[in-house]
Amino acid sequence: MSASMRFRVRLGKGDEMRFVSHLGYMRAFERAVRRARIPVAYSLGYHPHPKISFATALGVGMTSEAEYLDIELNLADSGELSTLEVFELLQAATPQGMPVIAACAAHGKPALASSIEWASYRANVQASIQPDLERAATELLASESAIAEINTKSGRRRADIRPMVRNISWRSGGVLECTLACGGRAHLRPQDLLAHLGLIGACVYRTGLYFTDRESGDLVSPMSVECTDLVMAMGFRPGELTRGS
Amino acid sequence: MVNKGLLETDILPNVSQPARYTGHELNARVGDHIGAEATMLLAFPDVYEVGMSYIGFKILYDIVNSNQAWAAERAFAPWPDMEAQMRAHGVPLYSLETYTSARDFDLMGFTLQYELTYSNVLCMLELAGIPARADERGEGDPIVIAGGPCASNPEPMAPFFDLVVVGDGEEAIADIMRATAQGKRDGASRADIVSRLAEIAGVYSPSLANRVERRVVADLDSAEYPRKFVVPFLEAVHDRVALEVMRGCSRGCRFCQAGMIYRPVRERGTANLCELAEALVRSSGYEELSLLSLSSADYTQVKELMSKLASKYGPEGIAVSLPSLRVDSFSIALARDAEKSRRTGLTFAPEAGTQRMRDIINKGVTEDDLMSAAADAFESGWDQIKLYFMIGLPFETFEDIDGIASLSRQVLELGRKVAKARGKARRAGVNVSVSSFVPKPHTPFQWFAQNSREQLEHKQLYLKERMRVRGLSVSFHDVRASHLEAAFARGDRRLAPVIQRAVQLGCRFDGWSEQFKPGLWHQAFADLDLDPSMWANAEYGLDDPLPWDHINMGVSREFLVREAQRAARGVTTPDCREASCSGCGACSGDVRVRLAGEFAASSRQGGGRA
Ligand code: SF4
Repeated sequence: MSASMRFRVRLGKGDEMRFVSHLGYMRAFERAVRRARIPVAYSLGYHPHPKISFATALGVGMTSEAEYLDIELNLADSGELSTLEVFELLQAATPQGMPVIAACAAHGKPALASSIEWASYRANVQASIQPDLERAATELLASESAIAEINTKSGRRRADIRPMVRNISWRSGGVLECTLACGGRAHLRPQDLLAHLGLIGACVYRTGLYFTDRESGDLVSPMSVECTDLVMAMGFRPGELTRGS
Repeated sequence: MVNKGLLETDILPNVSQPARYTGHELNARVGDHIGAEATMLLAFPDVYEVGMSYIGFKILYDIVNSNQAWAAERAFAPWPDMEAQMRAHGVPLYSLETYTSARDFDLMGFTLQYELTYSNVLCMLELAGIPARADERGEGDPIVIAGGPCASNPEPMAPFFDLVVVGDGEEAIADIMRATAQGKRDGASRADIVSRLAEIAGVYSPSLANRVERRVVADLDSAEYPRKFVVPFLEAVHDRVALEVMRGCSRGCRFCQAGMIYRPVRERGTANLCELAEALVRSSGYEELSLLSLSSADYTQVKELMSKLASKYGPEGIAVSLPSLRVDSFSIALARDAEKSRRTGLTFAPEAGTQRMRDIINKGVTEDDLMSAAADAFESGWDQIKLYFMIGLPFETFEDIDGIASLSRQVLELGRKVAKARGKARRAGVNVSVSSFVPKPHTPFQWFAQNSREQLEHKQLYLKERMRVRGLSVSFHDVRASHLEAAFARGDRRLAPVIQRAVQLGCRFDGWSEQFKPGLWHQAFADLDLDPSMWANAEYGLDDPLPWDHINMGVSREFLVREAQRAARGVTTPDCREASCSGCGACSGDVRVRLAGEFAASSRQGGGRA
């Protein structure tokens, strides 16, 4: 067995932490790792930092059941740790609003952050505006391109958002679901899509992050590619971290 | 309870740093507010990241909440953007733990850490819907209490508090909670509970204007200390495990209020500290552990403690640090061990530029001390050094100001030489921070006037001119802010309406240069026909009555007079830990200097709670 091992962890971001910045969220996780006394590996150099890398940032104000990260452990001194052990240690140490949903051992080379291409979200829509929104969504999906004002890392600019919208659908009770481009190559913030459709200020909930399967073109979970020993939280029900559902 | 939904949808998305206002941090108190026998809202009149950095605040939170029957929750001053939103939506000041409106607490306890937060106290009361003046409050209003170092002259703020706690808060807060719970059980009226609380030792009642003697924890080693810190999601100014290794300092710098009012020196034992460190590190997950006190390098067993902690936690990636350095090689050696990466600059505080002036203020640092400490620091790899000086000290001449410039330049020269010898590419730099002397109550300099604003501004310009050297950067404190600070520090009750007026005009966060509005303060004083110079620039005679005469902080008036006279003659007074007792009056009965050595044998068992 090698002295170092990588685990992939799926966390939630609940209501208690929805206004915490991504930086604050990462710091809170690092502290949870330290409390859990999990032997995380450190980078070399003058300012060693724990080898934890998050898939992608979540905007302040949003909640999520799909925050993924990779953590590298140095098992030279401690001996082997099973996924279940890592999972349980973390679960006992994370603060309110940061549930540990799943963990697995990650073997593949592809770095988590650079492999994420899509993210799915959910937003509650008031019944009064739902027909308008449905119409706008149908129109968008039927069109070839759609120019809109969006926020990017380098500021506001106009862009064609159509290629970045993979899917928009509706669940009962006025819940909109959408799958949008996410990551370094193309990124569409859900708020920008919703604003384009005519909805401002909705509470948005992230439900998934995905890789694209090179052969089939299907979306696959980051825990389905070169991962083993998956452990899921008992009784976890998708959607449970979102308000009012 | 405030409307959480409204906060989440209409308010928090529109303010900066919304996590300041949402609580739910690790180790924050959870549980019911309603069932508690007595509830206290601990209010810190500054922004969250600042308030969450104070150990006193954490200690009080812990003491109250470690009793199942009591509840302490927290509130901080909302930043102006949040204040505007709260007003616009009619959301009152609320606690971070249970979102309970401030008005629904039995007690509201303000920490008065520094004078320039006074406007925020009134702003918070207003947001809470609590009348500003104690005599306007009635049944149903919380009992509003203040504590902290500024309580050593509570007069400028006295009309706004029902009660003021003077001195160490550990024991007093428990007495207050107990008496409040009892009062409620007895069905006592608010007024009745206030008068019961006024009986507690160390409690000052502004309406009675009684004489009061400070509370003091005789044995810090057996005093309560948290084993859990609330760990903020936002980065606090001091965001780390803070171990208070001792309280008090007997170096006797004559300008320093903390050095007087926390006497005598009371250390904690190393066994206790190691055990606390372990509990706090494990319960917080912090990546840094810092030894806290007014002068931690003076902790008698600092070396042993540092090396113990560093060897235990270093391998886990937890840094051990020493925030306050003395100007000597011993301190550099400690810092060298602690900070392998030299990432932050080192800070020294010679405070004055000439030996004559340092003798006057009793700062036992010589030029040689500074130069050899600086040499050590540069040679150990630090290339940025920060120096703290003060201008406007009593008996100051322009030679003393010249001294600041020449000392700073010498340090810079030295840094260059060392850098050159070591072939280092990066140039040495010296940052000089210059504050203006503020005379503080209960110090030997309490009688002296602050320099006028014009004088201080002139001295700043004069010094700036002499510091125009590459590699030397100098920053000054705002003179208008220091002037106001002096007025509040030495003020009396006539200031209360001025503060009230200033808050009405819009003054907030006066300690934040971008928020400080000197024009509005000027107007507030003018509206009441007063001027801050009446207090800041008043020279008091040694026999004059002072606005804080009725507050006994331990050190005697005779000692302070003696020290003022020695200052005038340029005579120093040695540290009572090294030489004999200088008779400051702080020790009496059980209260005496306690050093770590006396606790060595008594490694505590089973949690160590007193
Ligand atoms: S009374 Fe004496 S021993 Fe005690 S703090 Fe004062 S000077 Fe030191």
